[in-house]
Amino acid sequence: MKKIININFHGRVVPIEESAYEILQQYIDSLRRYFANEEGRDEIINDIENRFAELFSECLKKGGSCVTDADVNTIITSMGRPEDFEQDELMGAATNGGSSGTAGSANTSSAGAGTGGQQSSNKEQGYYTAEEPRRLYRSENDKILGGVCAGLANYMRLDPAIVRIIFALITFGGFGLGFLLYIILWIAVPPRSLVANVRKRLYRNPDDRVIAGVASGLAAYFHIDVWIPRLIFALPLILGIATSIFRNIWWDFHRGPAFITGGFGGTLFITYIILWIVLPEAFGASEKLEMRGEKVDLESIKNTIKSDLENFKGRAKDMGDEMKGRFQQVGKDMKQSTSNFSSEAGPVVRSAGQGIGHAIGVLFKAFFLFIAGCIAFGLIMALIGLIFSGAGALTFKNYILTGFWQNFLAWASFFLFLVIPVIALLTWLIRRIIGVRSRNHYLGYTFASLWVIGLFCFIGLVGTVVNNYRARQHVEEDIKLSLPSHGKLLIRGDRSKISYYDNDGWFDYTWEHKGMLTNLNEDSMTLNTVRVSLVKSPDSDYHVQLAKFSRGRNASEAKNLAEQIVFTVRQADSVLYLPPGFTVNREQRFRNQQVLVTVAIPIGSRIFVDRSIDQFHWFNIEFDRRHFRWNNRRWNDDWNDDGPEDSDWGNSYPWTSNAEYIMTNDGLTRANKKAETREEEDKKPDPSTNNGGYRYRPHNNKEKDSAPPKKGRDTAAVKTTAMLHSFADGNIYILPTIFD
Amino acid sequence: MNIENTQSQMRKGILEFCILSVIRRGEAYPSDIVEEMKRANLNILEGTLYPLLTRLKNADMLTYRWVESNSGPPRKYFCLTPKGEAFYGELEATWNELANAVNALTNKTLGVGDAPAN
Repeated sequence: MKKIININFHGRVVPIEESAYEILQQYIDSLRRYFANEEGRDEIINDIENRFAELFSECLKKGGSCVTDADVNTIITSMGRPEDFEQDELMGAATNGGSSGTAGSANTSSAGAGTGGQQSSNKEQGYYTAEEPRRLYRSENDKILGGVCAGLANYMRLDPAIVRIIFALITFGGFGLGFLLYIILWIAVPPRSLVANVRKRLYRNPDDRVIAGVASGLAAYFHIDVWIPRLIFALPLILGIATSIFRNIWWDFHRGPAFITGGFGGTLFITYIILWIVLPEAFGASEKLEMRGEKVDLESIKNTIKSDLENFKGRAKDMGDEMKGRFQQVGKDMKQSTSNFSSEAGPVVRSAGQGIGHAIGVLFKAFFLFIAGCIAFGLIMALIGLIFSGAGALTFKNYILTGFWQNFLAWASFFLFLVIPVIALLTWLIRRIIGVRSRNHYLGYTFASLWVIGLFCFIGLVGTVVNNYRARQHVEEDIKLSLPSHGKLLIRGDRSKISYYDNDGWFDYTWEHKGMLTNLNEDSMTLNTVRVSLVKSPDSDYHVQLAKFSRGRNASEAKNLAEQIVFTVRQADSVLYLPPGFTVNREQRFRNQQVLVTVAIPIGSRIFVDRSIDQFHWFNIEFDRRHFRWNNRRWNDDWNDDGPEDSDWGNSYPWTSNAEYIMTNDGLTRANKKAETREEEDKKPDPSTNNGGYRYRPHNNKEKDSAPPKKGRDTAAVKTTAMLHSFADGNIYILPTIFD
Repeated sequence: MNIENTQSQMRKGILEFCILSVIRRGEAYPSDIVEEMKRANLNILEGTLYPLLTRLKNADMLTYRWVESNSGPPRKYFCLTPKGEAFYGELEATWNELANAVNALTNKTLGVGDAPAN
């Protein structure tokens, strides 16, 4: 007992057995593939179908109630199967047989029956039979770039989308290796018109969705329960959020393996977003069957439609769905236009020349795509980095931006300028990979216009922020020093003097001597943009002058902020204690506040700068009409920029920490040279000074340089060394010996 | 050496010419053409015929018109264009040359062999 369906075949209603209909479908599909490159393909197929219709009506007239399997087979036999068609050489070479894959049963059935002996003679035409050995081809009809991935997928019986995704991952993860591989395959593998031989393709399932049906589409593809992929997506993300919450509240909480909680959760989240954009929704019944990998035939299609209707009654279509559908269309459209471009460019290049021309065209197209991919990849990485350092950046942002407009512009430019092009590039790239066609350009235009708006916002933001830093002012403060008891002054950082508002909240960040910030939280931040500069004193006393700098929107604001800097210098006999930094609170904002400590040393006196001063990290923003720059140099370089003016007492001298110097008429000199080597080993190498830090006699040409001097100075140096050796801890100071 | 290959090559060579001559005799539609050729003992698949007809039509050798019929869908009736006529003329000349040449050659070889020719 067979089921009969009615089809509308070329304007006539034809009752036909269901199985016969399927045979007919397959035959027509095989014709389509066979004539894929033929110019008059549609017309030929139309003619053949017409002939079928004619024969069908004859069958019916002969008294049969419907068209049966046998009828269809007879007609097909008399018409001939594609592989039996006698075509001249041109046509045969071009298409070379489209009958690979599921073209129905091959020559076997047409061998015996038929119209004479030419059937067997046609078998040797060189058309591929079903028994051919499986070989790797490029797909002619399912290509994005060159059909490499689709051909590979055909060979391995996979969904082309999966192969494409894998290829893309290899390319971006392997630094272009996949790209090279693709080029090689493109050139080497011959093209062929291939039929998709996968019944199972990866879709999103719109019927069973929590967010977007990604998880349930995956579940349908792999035939696992829905909650499994949902759990996989959600768990690392939840774990990561939870543990980072804990970490911020209780400082000692150790996270689980950072692999899971940190990166993995974020990666899966991004993966979910990517899949959401990329995978098409299984709309039609046949697509839903493909999603599950079930056989797409009338029976299953009907069952699917029936269950669909029942679901649909229970579901209300809302705005969100419609919007998404529209955006999907737009994305498909963009894909269509780019694939149009490539399909137009492709034949042009190919006709230009066979081997090399073809390869060059391939290279250009792929190169362009590779560049775009790299840019997208870079932007994605930047965006991810920004997102995951977001909390810290947020706090810091509050110190830079003032007022409603700046904040608004900052957020707007972040989203429109950074996030949107990343999303757009992602969508475009992955739609290209998947092969989704697009019909209109709305998505592209929307993204582009939003990005332009973001660009303007960004420019506006930069402009207003720069305005905040325009003026620069400083206030000076002299500090009276009593003469140190042994003509030597020690400068040292004072750890106990800093005060900052500390609360164990969400946004505490502490760096370990890494930069100019030592502490950052909601209410205040600690800066150590302090610089110690050593100059010659005009008289015989030590002097210390503090110069506090700040920037601001105008001079008065800058001066105001400069005055608010609290930096208390304390002297305890021979030691000058400098606080490790100063606090800037939230109202003051970060305006590149700096403190310059100028120490004037009388001639003949010594100075020793302790290593704790190394923690200061100078940071200077400068800009004038021509350019904008900031420099981040270490504090004892010889700098010649237009920074703070030198002190009234003349130029400053470069120095290094943990070394003793003597001020002479011509500048600072290292107090002893024998102890140098010992000290030099402790120091970190300073990359910006040459000679590894031996630049302590910049203006001096009276003295000898590298050779250990053998003058009177030297004997004193020996004495000095001896004395230093006996007091090893460095806190005892030697008796001054006045040199010239 | 594959004899079927050679045989099919020989057939392919004359297919166009035969089709054109059938159409030349009068308007015909594809299954008619197949019938005629079958009567002349030259069997051809319809699936071979349709593409050939379409190609000839695209090359302006043939033209067609639709004829309605009550027992089925409308049919295409093909006939030769002037260009097709000229094409046919040349093919006919070529065929005559070939036929004479082949006949001459085969008769000569027959004469050499021992089996009597008639």
